[in-house]
Amino acid sequence: MRALALLILGSLGLSLSAETIRLTHDGTNKRDPRYFEGGRKIMYSFDETRALLRLMVMDAEALKPEPMFNDANKHQLNAAMSPDGNHIAFNECTGNLTAHFVIRRRDDRKDSFVKHGGRGGYRSPVFTRDSKHVLYCFAETGPQHIWRVTLDGKEKKQITEGTGVNNWPSFSPDGKTLVYGSSRTNTYEIYSSDADGKNVKQLTDNEAMDIRPEISPDGKRIVFTSMRDGNRELYVMDVDGQNQRRLTFHEERDDYASWHPDGQRIIFVGEREGRFDLYLMDVPAKGK
Amino acid sequence: MLGIGDFKANSCGGQTRRSFLQTAAALPMALGAGHEAWATGQAPKAKSVIVLWLWGGPSHIDMFDPKPEAPSDFRGPFGTIPTRTPGMHFTELLPKTAKRSNMFSVIRSMQSSNGGHPGAGTVGLTGFEERPTVHPNFGSIVAKHRGHADALPPFFYLGHGIPRDLPRRIEGYGGGTLGKAHDPFLVQCSEKGEANIPTLKLLEGLTPNRIEDRKKLLGQLDAAERQLENAGIDDWKRTHQSAYGLLADPKARAAFDLTQEKRKTRDTYGQTTFGQSCLMARRLVETGVPYVQVNWSEYVETFTPNGDWGWDTHIFNFELLQDRHCPIFDRAYSALLDDLNERGLLKDTLVVAMGEFGRTPKISKRAAREHWQHCYFSVWAGGGVQPGRCIGESDKVGNYPVTTPITPLMAGTTICELAGVDAQARAEMKVLDGGRVIRELV
Repeated sequence: MRALALLILGSLGLSLSAETIRLTHDGTNKRDPRYFEGGRKIMYSFDETRALLRLMVMDAEALKPEPMFNDANKHQLNAAMSPDGNHIAFNECTGNLTAHFVIRRRDDRKDSFVKHGGRGGYRSPVFTRDSKHVLYCFAETGPQHIWRVTLDGKEKKQITEGTGVNNWPSFSPDGKTLVYGSSRTNTYEIYSSDADGKNVKQLTDNEAMDIRPEISPDGKRIVFTSMRDGNRELYVMDVDGQNQRRLTFHEERDDYASWHPDGQRIIFVGEREGRFDLYLMDVPAKGK
Repeated sequence: MLGIGDFKANSCGGQTRRSFLQTAAALPMALGAGHEAWATGQAPKAKSVIVLWLWGGPSHIDMFDPKPEAPSDFRGPFGTIPTRTPGMHFTELLPKTAKRSNMFSVIRSMQSSNGGHPGAGTVGLTGFEERPTVHPNFGSIVAKHRGHADALPPFFYLGHGIPRDLPRRIEGYGGGTLGKAHDPFLVQCSEKGEANIPTLKLLEGLTPNRIEDRKKLLGQLDAAERQLENAGIDDWKRTHQSAYGLLADPKARAAFDLTQEKRKTRDTYGQTTFGQSCLMARRLVETGVPYVQVNWSEYVETFTPNGDWGWDTHIFNFELLQDRHCPIFDRAYSALLDDLNERGLLKDTLVVAMGEFGRTPKISKRAAREHWQHCYFSVWAGGGVQPGRCIGESDKVGNYPVTTPITPLMAGTTICELAGVDAQARAEMKVLDGGRVIRELV
């Protein structure tokens, strides 16, 4: 009902309440919420049981989650949808020490897998804006790097260089700029580069972690998580790193922020009284 | 809510099928019998002990012993934060714990002799290697010394079974040379705070109300014994015995009923298996149980569905610590200390958080950390421990202690000493031979 009211308000062009709206109520541990299909649907993963993560999908209006796939015995998490809606990429685990990175064609569920040497793990997929490639993170020789493959899992190319853990890639709307987190210099900071990894610029610089950056749909802002104020909170900054400001002020954890396609709101996981649910909040324009 | 076997049955040891039958006929009389009475001498500093067993090997560098000045291939990605103890810093993953460092002391120079999970687990919980003889868990020693507190067994395991890795479980989980009568009693606690006693799985239809009817109970136990025999299970005597006592006693049952807690209290611990288990441990201690071991029972998400490798973060070490393990621990541990303190229980409840080893200071090819027994941490609070201390020191990258290493045998000796098992009692029990108390702690 709340979502419906929000939708009506939005369609009437009325300004949305700055009040944060709670989208789920089961309180289970959740992560990586993402809007897709133009904001009509939301996907995320949650702890279905103590020992099983499940990828879920729900209509953004009805808010009734159901499993994305009928794979009840597989961990499935950390999903990304291609901009054209034809593919989904996610991490999967089907048994002892069997971590896969899956690129799945949605119409016929044809899967492609990415192969790396060693018993590593994959993370944080994101599709290029033309839906022809997938970026993901993997550690093969020490540092964790961002890699790019074609939709069939081939033509593997390393995007980042140097040391540290590189993670959470996000593209600008024109596909020319890549933003990600990296511990290459010390603690986790946020960097931007060209889509091919060149022309790296450091956007944040402090002693606490700055992680999980995501560029807004209009390409002007970046939402991210930081521990800079002693607690895990959400922040927003301009795409060049200027005007960093805090968005959440709850004593518990706020994390996993992702933009609504309207570019005015973010969905995130909020911990409240020890329970984890999805919330939708406005991101006021600068100065408001 | 108290269940009686919703999970796959796990026994924490026991005796033979034949002795089970004998016990079934003598259950009420057997309760509390056969245990040494708690010595009536000087009261121990720790009336109760809670061990938070961080199974899998938590990274010392990424938690309690950060190395911000180490080279990039050692240091890790986390920032450091000050604690309330002058000069002591933790990583930013433990903000709540850091604010309470005046309530506990940290040892940064732990060292084990074993680098594999089950073997190191046995060393960590008994003080000795598994061969040639499996020594008793520290909890079994305290349990034997102190005996039953009313209907409740003296040594509880809270978690999802005996810690294990893929091939096998820890051998030193229980009574060892003291016998299976001193094994822990297993209770599982869900993230919703629901307790379950897996040893009663085969007693179909048995409820706490019905169990008070002894005649029916014995009939059910007879039937269960036949099922057990058919299933080839022969070690259920003592656990059924304890379970009977627990279920038949309203006060004992109440210890497992987390719904009696205020919602706010339950929330403060976190809606996780570990968090609610910590709360249940506090309730057990409050009822006089001398020893509770809370086994970390979360999992490494992409290793295996339905696995329970705890802190064994061979891949995604940093991400798992930042997103899951440390937030869960930080919340539950802080809540436990606060709760015990506010109830006046911390001064005589010893709380020890430790794993079987640490993790490699040098970051691995998988951008994670492997097993490292040469240097790790333990955290001590309450029950006779001097708080606010940082004991021992590791080298510049966290590879080895630069002070005298503190071993699991010393940790176990200290736990037992504070719990009232003094040198004479230990000698009489023939346990912890060669162990010495960590004097810097007490």
